[in-house]
Order: sequence, then structure tokens, then C-alpha cells
Amino acid sequence: MIRMALPKGRNLETALAAFRAAGIELEGAEGTGRNGRSLIWRLPEEGIEILSLKDWDLPLYVGHGIADCGVVGSDVLEEVDGDLLVPVRLLAGRSRMSLIGREAALPAAGTQVRLATKYPNTARRIVAGRPWGAEILKLSGSIELAPALHLAELALDIVQTGRTLAENHLVEIETVAEVAACLVVNRASYQRHRARLNDWIGRLEAAEVVS
Amino acid sequence: MRVSAALPTGVAALLFESARRRRDAEDRLVAHLRKAGYSEVILPILDYLEPYESLLTPASRGELYRFVDRDGELLALRADFTPMLARLLAPRLDSLALPLRFYYRGDVVRYQEERAGRAREFYQLGAELLGLPGEAAEQEVLRLFLELATAAGGGDLQVVLGFAGALDQLLLTADAADPAALAAAVARRERGEVRRACPRLLSVVENGLPDRPEDLGPEAAGRLQSLLALRDELALAFPQARLTIDLAEFACNSLDSRLSVAEGERPYYDGVVFHAYAGPAALPVGGGGRYDRLFRSLGAEVPAVGFAISLERLLEAKAGEVRP
Repeated sequence: MIRMALPKGRNLETALAAFRAAGIELEGAEGTGRNGRSLIWRLPEEGIEILSLKDWDLPLYVGHGIADCGVVGSDVLEEVDGDLLVPVRLLAGRSRMSLIGREAALPAAGTQVRLATKYPNTARRIVAGRPWGAEILKLSGSIELAPALHLAELALDIVQTGRTLAENHLVEIETVAEVAACLVVNRASYQRHRARLNDWIGRLEAAEVVS
Repeated sequence: MRVSAALPTGVAALLFESARRRRDAEDRLVAHLRKAGYSEVILPILDYLEPYESLLTPASRGELYRFVDRDGELLALRADFTPMLARLLAPRLDSLALPLRFYYRGDVVRYQEERAGRAREFYQLGAELLGLPGEAAEQEVLRLFLELATAAGGGDLQVVLGFAGALDQLLLTADAADPAALAAAVARRERGEVRRACPRLLSVVENGLPDRPEDLGPEAAGRLQSLLALRDELALAFPQARLTIDLAEFACNSLDSRLSVAEGERPYYDGVVFHAYAGPAALPVGGGGRYDRLFRSLGAEVPAVGFAISLERLLEAKAGEVRP
């Protein structure tokens, strides 16, 4: 039995669709598989058990080997650094992590600003390489409000279509990374389930749903 | 007034039954080590920081608990036994009869981000063999490690073997702007990145071994041959353990300064290197390897091979053999 952790939220459908394209059905037959509220479901014929987890908790479950593998956004992965294997990244549902502000320019060299984000570790790494400095404010959501209401000059956040930004009179100043849902694997689990995982990875590659 | 029994993050008190369990396991392993001709060394928990400065990577520096003593000396809490042993023995080697076989036990303290299961203080028991040349030392130490780990941990032991510098030639001749970043991508098995830079590394990422051993270069290919022979021999002697060679697992264990990276391994291994996983535990329960270059950096020439076992992880793995 191999245990896989799937994220709630936007990466779930991306993950299910990618595995479906590779001929691996993770939802299970009606009545036995996923329903609206179940947090664990089993696919006995496939020898898979699925855990439904929040993005931010998923690397911890995989890191501890409670789940052997999982799918999680690279934004979360970069932020929590769990020493996981990252064999492939899903192509669908990609977005970008960007610096956002009220004006289309980065702070001038030598200035100190405030930067609001859900990703303080990533933000610290980015700011370390800039000629300007920033005090990092960690927020849990609605990051766009921070620059819009002058809590901070900048925000670091995920941008998908840019519509929320436009509605709040904000601009995407600079894209700092592409964000993709990643297949992550626990190191010890990779040693134990190598053949199975390599088969899945091969099928995902053949279906051209990963890079 | 009621006092709180709370402890700082990452440390634990073992009371009663859990203390007994650990001491029992420790006693068994120590008896085994003594029988194998290893004698004990006891090391201090505090040491100067200065002798280790050149051995530290940014990652291992970040793990240190260091402070200024009242007399102004910069000190650190023990984070690793092996460099301390090497520093104490290097200046004395001329007057000691080789080979030396010894073991140690005690706590090491390393700062880890606050995440459950990543203890900041953990108990290690390890052994070192100094001054026995050639493969005989690697064979003796690996056998001893397997004996101890199978005795303490029960079944489902998986030992992953490799050697430092195995992938250096492939990594340095790959089409990569930053070969050290490519080494990290191999260690994380990032196939897209590896395929772009060096398709010949893909089979290493998948199966731990290259399709054509000669791609590693003549010296590394020869070492791989001897490691395969050693693996087969040990697999016969320890049928209850699974022994695999996986060069990707140790991609960051390089012998070339252009590939030295901040993350991962203790940076001093320069020969055979190994990890062991047990039960469903995600972190290695032990590991070790050859570290002649650690002594060389301290001005001494001596062959050195050793290992450390994390006793708590091994006991946890045994307790959790059936995953919930």
C-alpha cells in the first residue's frame, strides 16, 4: 500500500486530472472513493490510500513518511524546505510568484520598505539579493489589501490572471518565480517504492502532463 | 504555585519506561561493540568553535548553538562527534598504536526549524576505525553497523550505499551553468532539470546507477565495481536487510570544490558513504562512511571510517513498524 497526500484547493483538480491523463484514477469508484467530506479514501485495487490535506501541512506529512508522496505547490515547498524529492512538476495550473505594488517600480536603491506576504522565508531570500531593504510582514490571506491600504509598500504573492490586482489598483512589478504543482516524494519511501513511483512518473511523462 | 513542566522546543525528557527502553537498547549495542574490540571514549559537550571553522558549511554553521563564555572564548555545544574526535586525535596519532577501534555515545545538539519530529537534542552512538588501510576497514565498519542496526531495530532495514565524488565527472561535464545546483537537483531527483543538463544522469536519478558505469570516469567506475562486490557480500551475510547502491542519494557528497554545496551531508566524507532507513521512519536511523580528508585537513594522514546511529529514531522505527 502506498499512501499519497493530495492538497485541498486549487491544486487538487490539477493533480487528479494529471494522474487521470496518465491512466491513474485517484478518485475511486463512486461510493468507495472520494466524497465531499472524507479525509482519507482507499483505492484497494490500485493499492493506494489517499489523504486529503491542506497545502501547508502536506510537506510535513510527506517529510515524516506518514504519506509516501504527494502533490503540493512549489510556493509552499520553497517556503517550508522539507528535504523532499521533487521528481516532476505538473504543467497545468501554473501561476507565478510576483512582487506587487501600487506603482510599477521597485523601491529605489538604499530605501527601506515594508513587504507583506504569506511567504516570509522566500521573501527574506529575495530581499537579501536586492539593493533595497524590507521589513517582512507575515499575513495569512488577502495579501493584496496590504499595499492597497498602505500597510506595506510591496507584497509578494501568487498571481494567476492578475484580475484581483487590477480590481485593487495594484500592479505586478516583477515575476520572481514560476509556481507549479509538484509531485513530492519522501526519501525513504522512494527507496521502498521505487519501481511503483518510477512507473507513475514514466506514465505522467508519457502523457505529457509534467515537466 | 504550580510550576510548568514544559520544555524548550526540540528537547525531551525520557521518564521511566522510555528511559529504560533506551538504556536497554544502548546496553545491548555497547556490549556488542566491546565484544567487537571497540573501546569507549567520552567527550565533552562544550568545545571551542575555532578549530572547526574551516569544516563548517553554511548549513552546519546554522545548526550550531554557539556563545561567548564568561572569559570571552567563543564556544559551541557538541553538534557532531566525528570532527571533535578527529581534532583530539590528529595531534596524538604518532604516539598511538594503530589501528584504533573506539566508540562513543552521548547527546548532540543541533538547531532545527520548529517541526515535529526534528529533535534539537538527540542521542547518538557511534564507532570509528582508524588506521586500517584499504577496503578491509569499510567492510569491518559496515558489518558492525549492520549487526548493531539489525540487533536494535528488528526487521525492515534498508541501507543505501554510495561513495563521495561518484558523480563528479558527470556533473562537471554537464551542460549546467551551476554544477553545484545540478548536484542538488540530482539529489532531489528533479528529472526535468537533470534531463536538460545531462541526460546520462537520468538513469542515476531513476535507479541509482548509471546505464554505463564508464560514464562516471575510470576511477569512479572502478570504485563502483568494488562497491557492488561489497554490497553483494554484505547482502549474503545480512539477508534481513535490503542493501542498495544509489549514487543520486549522495550526489552532494563531492570531492571537487566546484561542487561543494551548502546543504545535505556532513561535508567530510570522501569514500564509501551510507544511510540506513528503518520501518516507516522518514529520517535515516544511522549512517557513516570514510572520512580520511577530515584528518588530512587537520594535518594528519590516517585512513578513517565510522558511523553513528540515532538510537531514538531506531527505537521509534521499531515501535512503529506497522504504520497507522
